[in-house]
Amino acid sequence: MNFFRSTWSIALYTWREGIRKKTLLGFLILSILVIFGSTFMTAFMAAPQRAVDLGESTVEADVQSKLIKDICVSAITIFGVLITIFISASVVPQEMDNKVIYTVLSKPVSRFQYLLGKFAGVQLIVLVNLLLMTLLFFAALWIRESVIPTLILWSALLTYFQFLIVSAFTFAISCTSTSSVLPTIGGLFIYITGNLTEYLNDVSARVSESTNAVDYYIGMLAYGLYRMLPNLRDFDLKDQILHLAPNDPPADAMIPQLLLAGSVYALAGYVLAYVLFRRREL
Amino acid sequence: MPEVIETQQLTKTYEGGYFARQDVHALKSLDLAIHRGEIFGYLGPNGSGKTTTIKMILGLIFPTSGTIRVMGREDIASADVRRKIGYVPEGAYYPDFLRGEEVLRFYGQLYGLGGKDLEKRIDKVIDIVGLGHARKRLVRGYSKGMRQRVGLGQALLSDPDVLILDEPTTGLDPLARKEIRDILASLRDGGKTLMISSHELLEVELISNRVAILYQGQLRTCGTIDELLTDRDTTIEASGLTPEALEKMKQAGISAEDVVNGRGLLRVPKTMSLYEAMDACRQAGLAIGSVAPRRETLEELFVRIVGTARREELASATA
Ligand SMILES: Nc1ncnc2c1ncn2[C@@H]1O[C@H](COP(=O)(O)OP(=O)(O)OP(=O)(O)O)[C@@H](O)[C@H]1O
Ligand SMILES: [Mg+2]
Repeated sequence: MNFFRSTWSIALYTWREGIRKKTLLGFLILSILVIFGSTFMTAFMAAPQRAVDLGESTVEADVQSKLIKDICVSAITIFGVLITIFISASVVPQEMDNKVIYTVLSKPVSRFQYLLGKFAGVQLIVLVNLLLMTLLFFAALWIRESVIPTLILWSALLTYFQFLIVSAFTFAISCTSTSSVLPTIGGLFIYITGNLTEYLNDVSARVSESTNAVDYYIGMLAYGLYRMLPNLRDFDLKDQILHLAPNDPPADAMIPQLLLAGSVYALAGYVLAYVLFRRREL
Repeated sequence: MPEVIETQQLTKTYEGGYFARQDVHALKSLDLAIHRGEIFGYLGPNGSGKTTTIKMILGLIFPTSGTIRVMGREDIASADVRRKIGYVPEGAYYPDFLRGEEVLRFYGQLYGLGGKDLEKRIDKVIDIVGLGHARKRLVRGYSKGMRQRVGLGQALLSDPDVLILDEPTTGLDPLARKEIRDILASLRDGGKTLMISSHELLEVELISNRVAILYQGQLRTCGTIDELLTDRDTTIEASGLTPEALEKMKQAGISAEDVVNGRGLLRVPKTMSLYEAMDACRQAGLAIGSVAPRRETLEELFVRIVGTARREELASATA
């Protein structure tokens, strides 16, 4: 009971403090501008096309619709991941800096509880931001296409799990440092590598044909990394959003596996954070 | 009954960088005992290891060796012990987007308090630290003195037996200082034990029962104020202190301090009788304002102890 009360109050405090950050607000406003702007702008561009004969204008409209979706999904992912990294990288170092952590950890609050509260607070912020952006996109698409774009919601779910993985490891790095610079760089690195794991597989496949010993080890390393690192691409439904109807269900049925994998990676990240933080000198 | 806080052979070495090993020996084998119901003044120049000691007692950093006992218990990280210690860190920040009472509510929840119990406790604490008029205002608008009261308040929420304060009055104006000091003294009178690290020696002298002086991680002196401040002499407040008069007094073995416009304080050494001193004054043609006995101040003791320690250190370094 007490455990949850104090953990929850740390989470809530993290949330209240986090949403005051100007950087976060900036990213959110930018993403909203992009989503609004793209839907408006193309509506504008579409106007003269109405005059053209029917056949061509549907092709044109289709291209435009893809463009809008592309811009919006990309904006949500990019700004979402920036917010995620930024907030996950800063909550703990900031408290070390302003010494709030001293007053909190000298209360009957274990370090495990403290981290749990902080991490939950970060997830609250990430989730709410993602929801805001998604709902905006959802509404814009609904109005444009006059069907309920449920696919967007599936995409948001998977995107959240992608963010969760990035967040957990960024958070773990932040538990070892006193400023948010290193963990931010680390978070970007994780996100980028997580999107490139296919290349690692490529490398290992290509190298396996060579007989050179060095190549062999490189191949092993690449393969090991490929198996170990999360493939964040799998969590990305952009292609489906572009090519399927907005109210189609997602085409592959991998979602439960992805959610499970995401949770496992996130748990690993959190455990790592705890291991790093448990005996940390403050 | 066990000591409230007791350290044995407490040692802390901060490990230096990975490449150039430059370890800092912040505390060297410190034995400290703080008794129940006292205000313990923990003194020492910058970097002598005061904050290091306090952080170890609170489990924020870990000893390299040695033991710490709080009320006889070694499990200082347990919730039980934490509940008994209130801590006001040095120069801490309190979330300034919250109201005074919201800050206390947040910290109260960390003790697992909630509902009516918590509200009652908050009212009580606000009353103790005197924040009643400002409890609904944002901390952003608080003065330094009010922030320090919030700090004191959050440390008192669990009604702890021990209060540890790291430089509680640094940066406060004289009035705010006096008010904080009065609060601390009344907490002591209410039965709490206080450990205060400070550079404000006058203040410490006014409210402490015992003091310890640390230098470079080693305890140089520890005792009650009465035990430590035993040196007594006499001062004469005199005017007409011309350069010639000053010269004459010096020959007589009396030194003058703080001379401004011919007025100043003459320090009569213990070896000289008061009659001799008065004679010397008359011969030099001085007008006497007052004659007063005085005892060594904590500041003088501090300067003496730390000065000696420094000289010893230099001597051993050159030897
Ligand atoms: N995290 C750290 N890493 C390395 N050295 C440290 C660390 N913290 C403190 N020190 C060093 O340990 C010594 C003791 O520092 P400490 O902060 O305990 O002093 P202090 O008595 O509180 O000083 P002040 O009066 O300035 O607050 C200093 O030499 C300081 O530089
Ligand atoms: Mg200090």
